[in-house]
Amino acid sequence: MQVAVPMTQTTGAKQTTQATRSPENEEARELAGSEILCEALVREGVELLYGYPGGTIMPFYDSLTSYPSLHHVLVRHEQAAAHAADGYARATGKVGVCVATSGPGATNLVTGLATAFMDSTPVVAITGQVMWSLVGRDGFQETDILGITQPITKHNFIVERVEDLADIVHEAFQLAQGGRPGPVLVDVPKDIQFAKTLYRPKASVTSFEHYRSTRKPEIETENIASAVKLISQAQRPLIMAGHGVVLSQAYQELQAFAEKSAIPVITTLLGLSAIPETHPLVIGMPGMHGPAHVNNAIGASDLIVAVGMRFDDRVTGKVAGFAPHAQIIHIDIDPSEMHKVKRAAVPIVADAKEALAALTGAIPQGDHKAWLQEIRGWEKAANERGKVLQNEELPDPTTILDAIRKETKGEAIIVTDVGQHQMWTARFYTWTRPNSHITSGGLGTMGFALPAAMGVKMGLPQEAVWVVAGDGGIQMNIQELATLKQQGVALKVAIMNNGYLGMVRQWQEFFHNHNYSETPMTGPDYVKLADAYGLKGMRITRREDVEQAVHEAMETEGTVIIDFVIEAESNVYPMVAQGKPITDMILE
Amino acid sequence: MTSETQGTQAVVAPERTGQSSVSVETARTYTLVILIDERPGAVDRVVGLLRRRRANMQSLTISHSEQSDVTRITAVATDSDVAIGQLVEQLRKVIDVREVNNLSSGQMVERELALIKVTSNPQNACEIIELGRQHGAYVADITITSVTLEVTGNAEQVGNLIHLLQSFGISEVARTGSVALPRGTEESKA
Repeated sequence: MQVAVPMTQTTGAKQTTQATRSPENEEARELAGSEILCEALVREGVELLYGYPGGTIMPFYDSLTSYPSLHHVLVRHEQAAAHAADGYARATGKVGVCVATSGPGATNLVTGLATAFMDSTPVVAITGQVMWSLVGRDGFQETDILGITQPITKHNFIVERVEDLADIVHEAFQLAQGGRPGPVLVDVPKDIQFAKTLYRPKASVTSFEHYRSTRKPEIETENIASAVKLISQAQRPLIMAGHGVVLSQAYQELQAFAEKSAIPVITTLLGLSAIPETHPLVIGMPGMHGPAHVNNAIGASDLIVAVGMRFDDRVTGKVAGFAPHAQIIHIDIDPSEMHKVKRAAVPIVADAKEALAALTGAIPQGDHKAWLQEIRGWEKAANERGKVLQNEELPDPTTILDAIRKETKGEAIIVTDVGQHQMWTARFYTWTRPNSHITSGGLGTMGFALPAAMGVKMGLPQEAVWVVAGDGGIQMNIQELATLKQQGVALKVAIMNNGYLGMVRQWQEFFHNHNYSETPMTGPDYVKLADAYGLKGMRITRREDVEQAVHEAMETEGTVIIDFVIEAESNVYPMVAQGKPITDMILE
Repeated sequence: MTSETQGTQAVVAPERTGQSSVSVETARTYTLVILIDERPGAVDRVVGLLRRRRANMQSLTISHSEQSDVTRITAVATDSDVAIGQLVEQLRKVIDVREVNNLSSGQMVERELALIKVTSNPQNACEIIELGRQHGAYVADITITSVTLEVTGNAEQVGNLIHLLQSFGISEVARTGSVALPRGTEESKA
């Protein structure tokens, strides 16, 4: 039934907009699908692609050399292409693009697409597919990548006719960026890449605003009024800012709202760096590894203004015990986030930037000095920063982070992997530069940091980009050192090496009776490894050498890897056990 | 998809072990009309979403609508108000979905068709046919050992007849699942 009427919607949209466009059409040319793909990417402003060639995507790679403005980065594993595109998107706000062949190439993208999906970042993936005439017959390197990626993409397409190709690519870019961003996959069978059709570049950009998911919702003024009322009545209010603030670049709006309302600000893991942590109203990160004063503040709060965050279980702990006395004003661009976890007294479906500006304009100047002081009082009672340190000789996380911060004057972009180092960095770095903290929050993807940082650095080549990773995660995509070398991309990599899968080990210590099942792990000699890739490596075993090593890394051209040997069994404190209320913390 | 859960009566919501603190209270049966663009993979996306979001499905009917390029899906699910509201918003995010409408029971016409094959013998065949006739069922097929009845009605009516026929022995039942339209001049794709 579905196959009978292919793509009527798309072609219909094309015709309507075509009529309204000025007739300055460039001369229609007959092009192959592979060339149309390149043309469409150029017209979308794409400059960088991360990918890996293979059988079914070869026509595209053949055409690529005729489009010098499209700089293709040959990764060493397709997963890295997806993460790099994701990192590029997070750093620049533009759509990241990755390319893979069918079958294993496409399936290797999956983890990266799921990562982008969970964190709402705009990525377009282009995959080759076996010839359309062969699809469905288990051909060599055929996989149903549409089926596989359906739950982890915002949308996906298979191109059945070359005439639809340009529109689909443009549609994919609009979908990836519009509304709540996300990854979109375009699967292009090999014969479609070879097939020729008349291509009119000017006529190809169409508008897809009829899609709800690409629209910015209009703010409902009565909801703003209700929110203002709650804000003016609250005695112990809190702002919780999430990734949505970063995605809509609402940094100034958040700060202005916080200052006018005088409400203390909590930033979730992906909200870190949305507002400077040196600001007197900013109190820290909530949840499983949030400091005690933040979780206690949530417990005592009577109003939470949640902006661009979705009450992830790592933030809320046991939901019934989360902010039990608070009403919620929930601002999110995605209506399906409303009431998903916490019932919102006032749901505001809107872009964070617009909603915060509207609220700021509508509220009177607030004053919550006493409340803020009360929270600050709890902070003093439980300063966990020192608790990481037990061995005085070895490098330790805070010394490493302080050294990076000092050497880069807080201007570096820090890309973390997943685990203990991620939490230490989130907690102790002191984020001041907007969007300087990049990590895989929702999916928690080990192996994310190195390839994602490559995307960050290539998107912002003037900036210093540091990878902070554990010895587990860094080994998951270590092959990208070759890509960095080939591309001449300079990352500075700090490995917090404790010889364990540290976070899993910590859980084993707390919840599995110290049974360190399959968490001790060895790694390579990172100095030799770096050398083998033609890069510089260092191994640092004394705390007093940390600053010098970081300085030397910054002074050295190209990518540098520093293997910091840290204490084997340091823990991240505090910690809330899964399923417990966040005010029920393990403090030491 | 047992007949017991059909109809509009309130039932206790299945406890979710998930993270939501939003109260499940009592569950009701909801009829969702989902209009989607007739494109490759569109049905797949809707059905996949219903599974991923743990919709408590009672029936699912997929067919053409009055528009050549629009497929009409009627999904009957049992859950709390909040959970259904969530599901509707999730469905609306699917790119192929044009409209989702939650039809309330008072304002819709709902029908499903069932074929019920009842084990019979020459002594009780007439009794089976008569019971069916009283419930508006037709005889679709008859053999020496079976009577196949065709019945149309809302899910509750169909469920009732199946229940009554169980004493004769039912060898097979095929139900289409519900389709529904709003009553009167209202349009579901308003």
